[in-house]
Amino acid sequence: MDILLGSIAAGILLGMVIALVALGLTIIFGVMDIVNFAHGEFLMVGMYTGLLTAQATGMDPIFTLPVAAVVGFLLGVLCYMGFIKFLLRGPMVAQLLGTFGLMLFLRNLALLIFGSSDKTVHHGILVGKSFDIGMGVIVPATKLAAAGLSVVAFAAVWLLMNRTKIGKALTATALNSQAARYMGIPTGKMNALAWGIGGGSVTVAGALIVNFWAVNPFMGLLFTMIAFAVVALGGFGSVPGAFFAGLVVGLIMEIPGFWDFFTYTFDWQWMADVPMTSLKYMWIYVAYFVIMVVRPRGLFGWKQ
Amino acid sequence: MAFLDVQYLTKAFGGLRANDNISFSLERHELVGLIGPNGAGKTTLFNCISGHYPLTSGRIVFDGEDITELKAHDVSRRGIARTFQVYVASGDLSVREKVMVGCFMHTHSRSKAGSKAERILKDLGLHDLRDDLVSELPVAAQKRVTMATALGTEPKLLLLDEVAAGLNTMEIDEILASIRHVHKDMGVTVMLIEHVMELVMKVSERVIVLDYGEKIAEGPPEAIAKDPRVIKAYLGERYVKGRME
Amino acid sequence: MEAVRNALDFSDFPRIDLFIAGAVFLLFLIFPVFPHSSFAMATMIQFFMFSIYGMGWNTIGGYGGQVDLGKAQYVGIGAYTTGVMLIRWDVPFWFSMPIGMAIAVIWSFIIGYPLFRLKGHYFAIATIATSLVLKDLFTVWPFVGAARGLEISPIRFPPPDFLRLIFKEDIHYYYVILGFFFLSILYMNWFRKSRLGYQLRCIKDNEDVALSLGINVHWAKIKTYAIATAFVSMVGSFHVCYIKVIEPVDIMSLDLSILIALMAMLGGAGSLWGPIIGAGVLIPLKSYLKEWLGAAAGLPGIDLILYSVIIMVVSAFEPRGIWGIVEKARRRKRR
Repeated sequence: MDILLGSIAAGILLGMVIALVALGLTIIFGVMDIVNFAHGEFLMVGMYTGLLTAQATGMDPIFTLPVAAVVGFLLGVLCYMGFIKFLLRGPMVAQLLGTFGLMLFLRNLALLIFGSSDKTVHHGILVGKSFDIGMGVIVPATKLAAAGLSVVAFAAVWLLMNRTKIGKALTATALNSQAARYMGIPTGKMNALAWGIGGGSVTVAGALIVNFWAVNPFMGLLFTMIAFAVVALGGFGSVPGAFFAGLVVGLIMEIPGFWDFFTYTFDWQWMADVPMTSLKYMWIYVAYFVIMVVRPRGLFGWKQ
Repeated sequence: MAFLDVQYLTKAFGGLRANDNISFSLERHELVGLIGPNGAGKTTLFNCISGHYPLTSGRIVFDGEDITELKAHDVSRRGIARTFQVYVASGDLSVREKVMVGCFMHTHSRSKAGSKAERILKDLGLHDLRDDLVSELPVAAQKRVTMATALGTEPKLLLLDEVAAGLNTMEIDEILASIRHVHKDMGVTVMLIEHVMELVMKVSERVIVLDYGEKIAEGPPEAIAKDPRVIKAYLGERYVKGRME
Repeated sequence: MEAVRNALDFSDFPRIDLFIAGAVFLLFLIFPVFPHSSFAMATMIQFFMFSIYGMGWNTIGGYGGQVDLGKAQYVGIGAYTTGVMLIRWDVPFWFSMPIGMAIAVIWSFIIGYPLFRLKGHYFAIATIATSLVLKDLFTVWPFVGAARGLEISPIRFPPPDFLRLIFKEDIHYYYVILGFFFLSILYMNWFRKSRLGYQLRCIKDNEDVALSLGINVHWAKIKTYAIATAFVSMVGSFHVCYIKVIEPVDIMSLDLSILIALMAMLGGAGSLWGPIIGAGVLIPLKSYLKEWLGAAAGLPGIDLILYSVIIMVVSAFEPRGIWGIVEKARRRKRR
């Protein structure tokens, strides 16, 4: 039973962080209809940023978040002004391949600078500690903190989008960029801002994740696909959608845990033979496909 | 029996009834105009007949067959062709190639489609433009190309959606001639949506008027032009009242 | 038959194009006679393989306008079918390749039917998703060797073996793939003049108009997707006999899918010569970059950095590809 609860808890905690990862993607897509295939690479940059800052300053990894946020923001804006802006003029093929080029670029730049080995955080006040949250479920402190801070960051972005003037301007551009422009809201600046916020939120997620997940230059793609699944389920462009969908996807990633639980409960040998752990990411891709075919709008989406 | 019989056609988008209980029929070889203020539901009606929109309720019977449930490509295969009002060309096809696509409906052979397209292009005076990209043509020519393409499918009924929009007087005369040619010489039944009154009133045998999704009048052009309900729809109630006083 | 005539008739190209194409093809025929490094030979073979991959992609991605980023799964199906059938049941290449194509095409119909309800970005991501699913499955499936993949050992299958397509020297592979290359060009020539080709281009232009012209848009896309699949699977089967080692992580990777799409886009999607030109530029570039700058030079990844910059620059500034530039210039001259 505690396997089940443990998996559910792990899934939810992971899901909160994943929601933050996907938040940036959904904002960018909401505002300008471009799919950023390099999204996972931004996450990777966030992870390296968090790692390096922690190592360089000796600060606890959790406190590297502001640095990561700034780096991410700048990276996003830079990518937009230096590259994405030009992509938007072209056909969709070019846009897709262009962001792929960006993905390859960032990935190989990281490979060049950091090498291909896994790196992870070793020091910090939370590393190695766990909490017992009752009912026999034990969670690592890093995951718990990461989840909590993700929710905070998520709420911060949500407040920004809905309660500040600039956030509302962004939403207006997302809904109808032409009308927004007539009202004096400059589309170009909004686009850059969207990339900045999008980049910033995902790098913060990265700085959180690196506390319990090793980083290497090649991990971007997996998280890009995870982010897509979340955004598809939640609805392209929907901020609250990203949150709930993130939780669901977090649970999907815990399928091996659920599978183990059912294997023990029903005691069917064939279940033990299925290498579910190796397949756990596959379910995310399947989920994306099924969602898009069955309910393309997602749970809360308004863009089709 | 009527050639095209539209019975109590209703198309609703959520709460908005774009077409509300519309009934009318067309006889073979008629040329009927469809007019009404902007937003009256004319293009929606075409979309319903051509199968691009599913109906909320009602029936459409064409040439003795109930086509209500058919998908758009099946409806075209039954002999209903149409042009589109807003046409965004992504620029790959030449005029000849575009018309050939229409001709390919009835043949698998490129040479047959090609020669048929040539004939149609000559017929509509587009032969000189045959190698130009559709997207690079002026509006008037583009409209004639959409007509030519539709003709490639050998339609029995042709729905023209605002083919005269944005045309100057000379171009309107040209397209009028093309429409008359299609109607009289090729024997195609035509229904056209138009805002250019001089065209519609000159060429239609009968006119149907829509307003706010409903059919408000039907009859010969001269009667429609004087019908107070029609005038009210276009110019507003106060105008009509002012006129009457 | 008209179809054959269409395939062989290149007369709608300007004379100079045909002259250049003919000269280049002649060069291809006699290339192995000239002194060359084995690296150059391998690059040439890669070039032909990727030209065919690109031509296949071009049907649905170029003419059809639906950006498919999941072609690698079909490379894998072709490669694994041939590999497994050879290793387990000693089935020669010339039998297993068509079977691989059949399996690939069947799979493409199965996922194509729901897949083509999607458009644009959503479609592209879905194609990636299906490809990754298949890759993950192959990585754990013992029947195909799971993560370790397959290996064709020349001890068990001594070269030269034309039936099983096992050779020691590359020159045999060269001419086999050249043959496929030539046939593919003929097929594409037929395709762009066929009813389906025209219908696709109309669909790409405007789907509502296509529907109103009697085109069953959904079905046309699925058929074209199947054609693209067949091309790609065919070369996949060749791949396993040539390279003799395959692993799911390489042969069904997203990077391969992207590369295929890139060939066609760089050279000019939606044109006959586009994928070939694209492959002609990218494959030598990639190979030689790797040789000069890559791991050999002690800087891992720098070749790909340069490569990715090229992709970004082309996408942002000349998305119509090389052939697109040529056609634009020609049209301007005609005015």
